[in-house]
Amino acid sequence: MSTAQATKNCITLKGSAQIIVEYLKYGINSILFQRGIYPAEDFNNTQQYGLTILMSKDPKIQTFLENVLSQTEEWLSKNMIKKISMVITNAHSKEVLECWDFNMQAELGDGDSSDPTKLTTTKELSRIQNEIRDVMRQISATVSYLPLLDCICTFDVMIHTLQNTELPAKWDETGAIVIQNPQAVQLRSFSTGLHKVDTVVNYKMST
Amino acid sequence: MDDIRSSIDDMMDRFNESITHSAPKKLLFNRLSASFDLGASPKKRRLERESPERSLNASATSLNSSANDPLGFLENSKLRTELIETKATVIQLRNEIEQKSREHRKALMLAENKSTALKEQCDITSKKFLDVQDEIKTLQNREMAFKNEASRTTIELNRLKLKHDEAMMKLQREKYLQDEDSRNAHLCINNELAEYRRIAQRSDLELQSTRSELDRLRQRHEEFKARVSGFEELRANHEKQTQSLKVANDRIQELEFEIQSYCDWKEVTKTSQERLASVPDLLAEVERLRSHNKHLNTLIGDKLLLEEQVHDYKTRLDREEGARAEAASLQVKLVHVEQELKEWVKVAQDHCLANTLVSPMALRSRIEQLLKEDIIHVAEKTSSDSDTKHLQTTVRDLEQKCAIYLKNIEDLNIGLKRHKNFKERLQRKLITVSKERDFYKQLVENFDKDMTMSNASVADMTQDMQVRYRMEVLERTVTGYKDMCATLEREIQAMRQQELLNEPAGEGYDSVKKELDTLRLENDRLRRRKEELELEMMHRCLRGDFNMKDLKVVHFNENPAAEAYESSKNMMEKLQAEIERLKRRNKKLEDDQEQRLNETTSTGGMTLNFKEFNQLRAELESANGKMRKMKDCFKAAREEFRDVCYMLLGYRIDRIGANSNYRISSMFAEGPDDYLDISLNESNCLALLESPYSHTFNPPIDQQLAASNFPAFFSALTLELFQRATVTMT
Repeated sequence: MSTAQATKNCITLKGSAQIIVEYLKYGINSILFQRGIYPAEDFNNTQQYGLTILMSKDPKIQTFLENVLSQTEEWLSKNMIKKISMVITNAHSKEVLECWDFNMQAELGDGDSSDPTKLTTTKELSRIQNEIRDVMRQISATVSYLPLLDCICTFDVMIHTLQNTELPAKWDETGAIVIQNPQAVQLRSFSTGLHKVDTVVNYKMST
Repeated sequence: MDDIRSSIDDMMDRFNESITHSAPKKLLFNRLSASFDLGASPKKRRLERESPERSLNASATSLNSSANDPLGFLENSKLRTELIETKATVIQLRNEIEQKSREHRKALMLAENKSTALKEQCDITSKKFLDVQDEIKTLQNREMAFKNEASRTTIELNRLKLKHDEAMMKLQREKYLQDEDSRNAHLCINNELAEYRRIAQRSDLELQSTRSELDRLRQRHEEFKARVSGFEELRANHEKQTQSLKVANDRIQELEFEIQSYCDWKEVTKTSQERLASVPDLLAEVERLRSHNKHLNTLIGDKLLLEEQVHDYKTRLDREEGARAEAASLQVKLVHVEQELKEWVKVAQDHCLANTLVSPMALRSRIEQLLKEDIIHVAEKTSSDSDTKHLQTTVRDLEQKCAIYLKNIEDLNIGLKRHKNFKERLQRKLITVSKERDFYKQLVENFDKDMTMSNASVADMTQDMQVRYRMEVLERTVTGYKDMCATLEREIQAMRQQELLNEPAGEGYDSVKKELDTLRLENDRLRRRKEELELEMMHRCLRGDFNMKDLKVVHFNENPAAEAYESSKNMMEKLQAEIERLKRRNKKLEDDQEQRLNETTSTGGMTLNFKEFNQLRAELESANGKMRKMKDCFKAAREEFRDVCYMLLGYRIDRIGANSNYRISSMFAEGPDDYLDISLNESNCLALLESPYSHTFNPPIDQQLAASNFPAFFSALTLELFQRATVTMT
């Protein structure tokens, strides 16, 4: 009995945050490729979740994502994040054209829930990865109905944290994101047992 | 430290002293207080002080008591009481002493505790003092180290200063050198400029000379033109002459053709005459052959007839056999058909009318009749279907009507009930009214009786009886009034209730319906509103911005968006600057062009320039044509020269590649691969390169070449190859 318990699969808050950050990394890169924000020759093939995902080769983007995601992981493990938005804007007019929202909902898990900092879940990693794979597939399928981005675009990652969050160096507070004439499409959601992640794409409806 | 300890010891001594000195004072005070408390103690002390004497006296008296008994007894008793008194005072004093000693002990204990605590504190402070001393030592060490370091750094600083000064010196020296260099460069540039000026002057001179040359060339060109016109005239004359020559030649040829045709005609007539002479013989032969031919034709016809007959017989035989087989099959078929016919006849008999003749026509007519009936049935069926549908629709309509009627009936029933209720109420009212009437009647009767009693039976009845009777009657009327009141009150209550119940009903079904409709509308409206709000809520949920107050949006400073904005801004600025620059340049160019245009129009040399240009172009074309012709000429001459060399000397020499490599192949070589490669050095020396053919020589080629030079070697080789070729030929 004791050995069975010892080998039991167990995900902590930190592990859950890691899984989500990994998803965000691949998701954001995939969106960058699929939406054509950077030229296709700037991307490399990688295998993840049983899919071929294209990752940016640009060192600037890599370092940016590394910085943002490491901070995100720290905040996620303390359940301080409500939403992460990847905003695609027109580089010249700064107009927001698309906003990919990753809504985070904290869950209690199925372990001992007396101490909120030591929650655990026994959800299997393969199951979580399968769920993530479905979402990634949907992300690549969105190209068929999202409007064409026919201008030079750029992106930014904005994090909706609690008011009492202390900001580290090089982090700024910014305003809310507003899309003119928005249209929202919810993709599948996945859960690590401790966090539930909903992926929603808001885009500007062309009139 | 020792000072502190000594001071603490002093304090302790002072404290102990104070304790020891204060003790008697305290005692005094206590005694005073005790004396104050007791009040009677001075007397006692006096007694006490007197008591020894007294006791002595007492003892004396006791001794004397035996002598004088009554006095002695009194004294004795007095002494005894004194003794008891003194004993009591002794005990009291002892207790006081004990108490004081206890207090003294307590004070001592307290003092000791305080002293131990102070000692401990002293130890701690001494320890601390030691620590502080250690720290001071370490700090002093550090200070020393820092001082050393400071001295070292000052030394280093001095060294660096020196270095810096040296570097300064060096740099100044370099600066001087560079200044000199720049001066040199300046001079050089000036020299070069002077040279360039000289070159420019020279080029100007050259330009002038070329211009003069060009003028000369122009003159010569005009001369040539004049010559060309003369030449063209000559050419025209020549062409005329050649044309007349051609015409003459054509005429000569025509005449020659005529002569030839005449000769041919002569030959033809000769041969035809010969043929005419041999005609009768030929006719005889033709007749003979014709007869022979006829005979052969008859023979062939007979043979064909016989063959036809044979074929005819054969076909007849085949047909007869087929007919026989067919007859057998037909017989079988006939039997079948007869059976079938019988069956058909039976069927016809079954189906036709009894008195009619059985025949196919009858059967057909019967079938037609049946079909017609069938059609009629089908038509009837469709009509009945439509009827049923119609009926069903009517039934549905009726059902709907029925439902409406049922509703009406229900409404009417409700109305009826209401009316019944109303009727009941009316009846009840009627009853009450009738009761009232009865009551009033009774009342009237009573009054009448009263009247009669007062009038008629006064005499009969006594006053008392009268009063009693009247009392009873009055009581009855009072109870009747009470009953009436109660019933009326009850009725009023019932009426009120009914009013409350029936008021809405009384207003009617329509008002309720209206209210219901309005309520329904409102319900629908609210439901729609609810759905809208739910949708909005869902949208909000999707966007996740419902409680934005609790959240703040943050982002990383160095994001790609910011960079892109910055770069786009820079690019915009750059582009705008370039636009400005280009605008300026454009303007400048436009101004220049205008100036130039003005210049050209003012000088009027534009057309002249064009003419010159065209002329030069024509010259270039003619020069190119000349060159091409020369090339062709040269190629032809070269080919000829090569062929002649090959034929005369027996070797073909090909130049290979851009370098001066040559391939030499002999006329008498056994194959195209037998060649030798030779290259010309920079020092104009010939050198033989290796080739597959060069390996085939029996004494190595180098030896042969060493023995003789190239022409001798090649002539020897030619001879050898020629001999070999001729030997193989022979």
